[in-house]
Amino acid sequence: MSAADATEVVSHPAAMSLRGLTKRFGSTVAVAGVDLDIPTHSFYGVVGPNGAGKTTTLSMATGLLEPDSGQALIHGIDMWTQPALAKPLVGVLPDGLHTFDRLTGGELISYAGLMRGLPKATVRERRDDLLAALDLDAAGSTLVTDFSAGMTKKIALACALVHAPRVLVLDEPFEAVDPVSAGAIRRILQEFVASGGTVVMSSHVMALVERLCDHVAVVGGGAVLAAGTVADVSQGRDLEERFVELVGDVSDQRDLSWLRQSSR
Amino acid sequence: MVATVLALKFTTVRHQLQREWWRALLLIGGAVWSVTLVPMVWWAQVRLGFEAADVRASIVVLAAAVCIVGWIVVPLMVTGLEDTLDSARFATLGVSATQIAPGLTIAAFLTVPALFFGAMFTLLSGSWRYDGVGARAIAVVGGLLTVAVMVLAARVAVAWSARAINDRRTRGLLLLSMGVGIAVLGSVMWIGLRDGLEAGLEFTVPVVAESLARTPVGAGMYAPAAWVAGDTWGALWRLAMMVAMVVLLGWAWKDSIAHALVHPLHRGGGRRRRADAVLGGVGDGQERSPARWWHSSGPVRAVRARLLVSWATDARYVVAAAGVVALPVLFFAVAMPVLSLETRWAFVAPVLLASSIGWGRHNDVALDSSGLWLDIVSGARGREVMLGRMQATLVWALPAVLIAAVGILAWSGRWADAPGLIGAAVGTLGATMGVSAVCAVALPYRTAGPGENPFGAEVGSLGASFLAQLASAIATAAVLPLMTVPFFLSLTVHSGWGWVAFATGLVLGAVCFTWGARAAGSLFNHRSGKLIAAIT
Repeated sequence: MSAADATEVVSHPAAMSLRGLTKRFGSTVAVAGVDLDIPTHSFYGVVGPNGAGKTTTLSMATGLLEPDSGQALIHGIDMWTQPALAKPLVGVLPDGLHTFDRLTGGELISYAGLMRGLPKATVRERRDDLLAALDLDAAGSTLVTDFSAGMTKKIALACALVHAPRVLVLDEPFEAVDPVSAGAIRRILQEFVASGGTVVMSSHVMALVERLCDHVAVVGGGAVLAAGTVADVSQGRDLEERFVELVGDVSDQRDLSWLRQSSR
Repeated sequence: MVATVLALKFTTVRHQLQREWWRALLLIGGAVWSVTLVPMVWWAQVRLGFEAADVRASIVVLAAAVCIVGWIVVPLMVTGLEDTLDSARFATLGVSATQIAPGLTIAAFLTVPALFFGAMFTLLSGSWRYDGVGARAIAVVGGLLTVAVMVLAARVAVAWSARAINDRRTRGLLLLSMGVGIAVLGSVMWIGLRDGLEAGLEFTVPVVAESLARTPVGAGMYAPAAWVAGDTWGALWRLAMMVAMVVLLGWAWKDSIAHALVHPLHRGGGRRRRADAVLGGVGDGQERSPARWWHSSGPVRAVRARLLVSWATDARYVVAAAGVVALPVLFFAVAMPVLSLETRWAFVAPVLLASSIGWGRHNDVALDSSGLWLDIVSGARGREVMLGRMQATLVWALPAVLIAAVGILAWSGRWADAPGLIGAAVGTLGATMGVSAVCAVALPYRTAGPGENPFGAEVGSLGASFLAQLASAIATAAVLPLMTVPFFLSLTVHSGWGWVAFATGLVLGAVCFTWGARAAGSLFNHRSGKLIAAIT
């Protein structure tokens, strides 16, 4: 990256800007023109019901899925026209994708570090730091295929962190992670944001978003329904309440009387 | 439960075909193609009807033997076996093998190949029409029992092989037994046909057929001949043996289902690896190695190290590596003796091995499944990713091809042809790997993902992969003459061409390999946003 590019990155106010992103799978419109600006140095939550288009949007923002139209800018650099400049700025934790499961946990972090172009000595040092910080010491020599879901999540997070990116895009980072590890991850992410980084995180857990994030976007039906600071979006109410109001409650709240133990 | 399982299968297949309509077209195409074979089989049974009963029996027994071998070998080494209802998927439903085995067994018979073979063997029984109703009825029963043996033997072979290949303690044993099987088959063919095709057909083949007629391989097909010869007992015990074999295979299949229900697919087995194989395969950038190409950038070496681990430990890669020997061995051990080809033809085998290895990589990228995300998000790393992948294959492929070439030279004693053969084989390897690298990015198709049954296949997957396989095969065939023509000239015109073949093979092979890695890498970068969707 040239000095001019670096200056551009530092000075750009939005860590991530999505402009008119759309994606269609057959007859299904998964993302219908998402516009979103994620400020630098923010902890940004993206929430929405299942199938709202969160993962598709984040995949398009991180170079994993080509959009039908629209732009994804990382610190002003277009992910799809300048991927060699944009991708090094981002650390990605996708949800529901395989990992190279024949490697051990430590090897997977090493692999991610080398793929990011880090020198061998730096990779070794950061690998050991990350294994310790994420309580994965014992897992460092275990094959990823034998990992639990939570361990897989943590090792993928370590891969996202290893090159010290400027923006972290994390899809459900706390899913299946135990409370102790979740605490460690929270601390790492909060320190990352405090040091000037930006975290974009999708989650279904409103309490977690309220606790960690300073900004939030509510996504539904492939579009942004509300976005801004957590206080602005929740409008003085509980975020979960506001979320249900925005996306709508379950339309058919059927009584499952047959499920009650007393009815047997 | 049978109806439930069958309904589940057909609903799943319907959804698969609705999701990708072209699969349905290819499935229908396969069925139509099968139907077009009916006139040929009809004509065959008419012709067979005019042959003497013992000749007719020998021919149908051998046909059944070839079909049974095909049913067992092809899914293991080439196509995988349709497993829409992989029994492991029932593990969380709390059902027993006894409950689902009948449905799964019937489902196994309601596939296009099973129905086709059932129809063909029923049709073949028409060749006994001039020998009375009894012979015809026995032929139908014997034929259908033979098809049942084929279908169930394929299921059991795949289930057992999947179990063995996923267990590192038995993996070596499985590969060894495959090697022994191939060696035995080759030896039998050489011994049987060493005096030429005609002598073999006249003397050896009837002996082999008679032996097979006493085994579950050919007993069902031979039973009507025994009946016609007045050997009622011979017909009955053969049919009884076939029934027993079907029952035995059915039991083994049910046992495999029961095993799959309570044994989640064996993964790493708690194996640990202290040394970092990825960092260990990477220098510190200070090396002064003359092979700068080999000590290339960190990402290339990381990918190479990762793929070397996969080639050593991932069942899907191990199966792919074992499968490449099928074509050259078939050529050397079967085609050569059958066609009475002279010694020089054996030189085709190492070239075939090289092209099998190279062509076999035409869907290489898809084996990473969605794990590919890590390569994609790491930057525009296409060239490094593809070069690393190809280098990892080269680590075992180049020695394998050279060993095959030296082995054939030693067998033939024609050491003077060594430069030409080595040039042609190495050139073919480089060229086919280059072509396949481009195909793997341009036309990837879904395949068994990490941890899935390496012998499993989806409905229509064979057809689905047809376009990519055809395109890569045509491209491979187009570049092969560059490597093989000078060698051919060295064998037929002047031995001096051998050194030309050596030089052109090495140079063009290296050029094609490098060009393929670069072109595939650029394409990888260009298609990075489409790749995961294409292979998952």
